[in-house]
Amino acid sequence: MEALKQILSPDFLLRNSVYTSVLVGFACPLVGVFLVLRRLVFMGVALPQISSTGVAVALSLPVWLGMNVVNAENNAHALAFAGSTLFTLAAILILAFLERRGRGLAEGRLGTAYVVATALSILLLSKNRVAEAGWLDLLKGEIITISNFDLALTAVALAFVLLVLGLFSKELLLVSFDRAMAATLGKSVLLWDALLYLLIGLTISVAVLSIGPLIAFGFLLVPPLTAHLFARNMRQFVVLSSLIGGVNSFLGFWLAYQWDWPIGPADVVLLGVIYALAFMMKKIFGR
Amino acid sequence: MPAAIITLESLAIGYDGQAVLSDISLAVARGSFTAILGANGTGKSTLLKTLLGLQPPVSGQTKISSPAIFGYVPQTVQFDPLYPLTGFDVALMGAFGRVGPMRFPSRSEKDFVRECLHATAAAEFSHRKFSQLSGGQKQRVLIARALATKPDILVLDEPTAGVDVAATHALLEFISQIHRERRLTVLLVTHDLPLVKRHAQQIIWLRDATVLHGPAAEIFTKERMSEIFEMEVS
Repeated sequence: MEALKQILSPDFLLRNSVYTSVLVGFACPLVGVFLVLRRLVFMGVALPQISSTGVAVALSLPVWLGMNVVNAENNAHALAFAGSTLFTLAAILILAFLERRGRGLAEGRLGTAYVVATALSILLLSKNRVAEAGWLDLLKGEIITISNFDLALTAVALAFVLLVLGLFSKELLLVSFDRAMAATLGKSVLLWDALLYLLIGLTISVAVLSIGPLIAFGFLLVPPLTAHLFARNMRQFVVLSSLIGGVNSFLGFWLAYQWDWPIGPADVVLLGVIYALAFMMKKIFGR
Repeated sequence: MPAAIITLESLAIGYDGQAVLSDISLAVARGSFTAILGANGTGKSTLLKTLLGLQPPVSGQTKISSPAIFGYVPQTVQFDPLYPLTGFDVALMGAFGRVGPMRFPSRSEKDFVRECLHATAAAEFSHRKFSQLSGGQKQRVLIARALATKPDILVLDEPTAGVDVAATHALLEFISQIHRERRLTVLLVTHDLPLVKRHAQQIIWLRDATVLHGPAAEIFTKERMSEIFEMEVS
């Protein structure tokens, strides 16, 4: 309980990490819901990895250009955010376009994108020692050094995602559930798909910068899967997913702080435990 | 003769520029009940998608009398059971065409959707998950959703597929009833010849890359049926 008191204290040294972790925990499942419903779970694996490749390229760029941007923390973070967002959005639009054409094997494309992105990140950063250290922290999900600027950037980006998702929820649901119906009602399926992909891309970019690709994927996927076991309608599904993600990220942080574990992996393992317990409860007690 | 609500002029339909059916010229009268018949692969669904604007024609034109709203009832098998939507949630989507972005359906819109669910006898199970409803119950919810669009043209794509015989009869009786009461134009894609004979006024029959079009009374004669099936029909 002492650890909990410390975490909740306004003077807690890692308070920005707690806030960021919880913000991402609440926000990732909101877009993860659409990845699960559209059966794009593989996209949820590939995109965070591609996003981190964007970070790797962005962090390597100043070195290639002989600039000293990486040492200025806020500049480096802004650069990483730009790289992450650019790569994620480009990838999501290309993958969505190819899926829309309906040719070839979608899983194959996503698998290839995942493995090439991972390899490319390692190649890029193996030649960039300054960036490599930060990137490894990112991969492990070490949410420790979060500046006020990072926190503000995360909060603004996720607030934007939440606002847009809320305002256009009915259109995004309609084009996901029944594209033909949406088209006959005069809705531009392409436009709404693009908006949804933009929101997914933005959330993943922010999440990857804060908690790394593996943990981002965990928060995108596991809370919606857990909530789906119990949700009777879309509202319950979305709210429950977000709550599971947010509460889990706080509990994960607490456990990690208490036992001196890395925060990200603690979050994901806890998500897995909650999912397993929920699954068993569902099996035993039914609805 | 009522004015045409849909006119097809030298229409060719298909995929990727390859025509499945070509040179289709016909008119669908406002307020008529038209059945689109044909074996699998003859282009029924392609014709429907082209009419709904979901797919561009290979050539020719589709003219829809303006303003005409389509109430589309797709096949139930196309819906992913993963969506935790109730029957009411699905029916409410019919109102989305009138409710612009950043706005939510008002109480009166929701009341209207409830009326549509009552009209299709789907109200009692509309609180249940859509994915857990039977084929006939899903069709009733989807017809309620189509009615909630306040349509001029009700388009049904094989609404009786996967529905048992009793429910099929009830469903077609119901569609006929709303066709008469609301003076809706109905376009029905189906394989079910006896039901079509009973309910449809106009027939569009797709066969061997050709289109046969005319009043049911003219199509369902011994001579025409023998010609279509290439065998003696008693």
